[in-house]
Amino acid sequence: MARTTPTFTPIGKYALAFLISLALMVGDLSYGTFSPLRGFFKASSIYSRLVVSNLFNSLEDSIASFQDKKSLLQSNEMLRRELLQMQAKDFLKRQSDSISKDLIHLEGEFQDLIKNMDIKIFKIASFESKNYLCCSTHELYLSNSKKLEIGSNLPVSNGNSFIGQTTGGHFSLIKVILLSDIEHVLPVKSKNLFCNARGVGKPLFISCVTDHHEDLNGNKVNDPIFTSGLGGIFPKDVLVGTISSVTKLSLDRHEIMIKLIANPLDENYLGILVGS
Amino acid sequence: MKLTNHLIIFFTILGGFWFDASISLLTIPFNVEPCIGLLVFCYWIFAIPEKLHSSSAFMYGLLVDLFFGQVIGLHMIVFVATSYLIHVYVFRFRLFSYLQVTIFFAAVCTFFLACKYLILSPANYSYSLLILSFFVNALAWLAVYFLMRSFRRNFFII
Repeated sequence: MARTTPTFTPIGKYALAFLISLALMVGDLSYGTFSPLRGFFKASSIYSRLVVSNLFNSLEDSIASFQDKKSLLQSNEMLRRELLQMQAKDFLKRQSDSISKDLIHLEGEFQDLIKNMDIKIFKIASFESKNYLCCSTHELYLSNSKKLEIGSNLPVSNGNSFIGQTTGGHFSLIKVILLSDIEHVLPVKSKNLFCNARGVGKPLFISCVTDHHEDLNGNKVNDPIFTSGLGGIFPKDVLVGTISSVTKLSLDRHEIMIKLIANPLDENYLGILVGS
Repeated sequence: MKLTNHLIIFFTILGGFWFDASISLLTIPFNVEPCIGLLVFCYWIFAIPEKLHSSSAFMYGLLVDLFFGQVIGLHMIVFVATSYLIHVYVFRFRLFSYLQVTIFFAAVCTFFLACKYLILSPANYSYSLLILSFFVNALAWLAVYFLMRSFRRNFFII
């Protein structure tokens, strides 16, 4: 294997490359300087993967058209997808209805807001399972093939509960930050407890810290946790999880760990509540 | 070295990272995180150090960060540092046994994982993951080494 004689390796260029890399990392970690660039590259790779997979699917479809068995399997798959879509739509419709009821009790000027409410169902284009299982960044991309205009900060549901919120998009993809992402904060409540639950970077877990002992108000393990509606993004009174543990941090401070009920690993389709 | 050769090397590294991401669902629940992508990069530096220098490590790291990273710079730092270490000791490594070289590259992977978890996800840092990953990456190095050597000798002659 040795095709050259041993040579001196000058450290200068390596040190320079190391320092530049370090500066880029600190800049990105502290200020998210390269977040749009990373988003662009990730979206490009997901998009090209989707294009390739669509090509393969079309090829498969054309072959399957000659095979009865395959067409039956296809219709079965289609029906399954439709059922999932209907379930997600049904849940979001119920949420939408409950918000509508609240609003009807208010002044007539809120009528415009109800008219604007809509539910959109999207297929998951890419889920970063590695980061989801190991690290603090929990996000996924939804395929927006119809190129609908979806804004940022809209609640995303799996059909039973909320799973995250939109944070923008690239090409025809919608980026969703999950509740368990370390950057995400969800206002929640249980009995008389109100707090902002932050993602802990572990799958299915969020936590909130109470500053006063009275805030606990008898909340204990397995108590249900609901969205409080504060913050204006998520509708209130939707079950998001249960208390999994209460840890005393100091004399008056407690950390309440909440286990979420919506598992993104189980889903193929997600719904976005548009115009809430 | 020609651009096409760089592209081939980069795509093998990218393939390693893609493989890592694909099997993570199976391995992470068992507290194991393989670093096939990093090992493939290490192989190329180890095999053709005279062709791959700091600039190559820098660029490969940047591209890997853009496609797979959570933050720009982490893979760049690890690639540059690993590349320097391998360049300094490459001829000494060739006198080493397979076991010694395997231990070195498994340790590089473990160091990378420790840094990654400490910087990006301290909540998930665990010694059991590092220890188990060390052994798995040691085995993975042998597979990567022989597979990539066969690829280099048969299909990628520069």
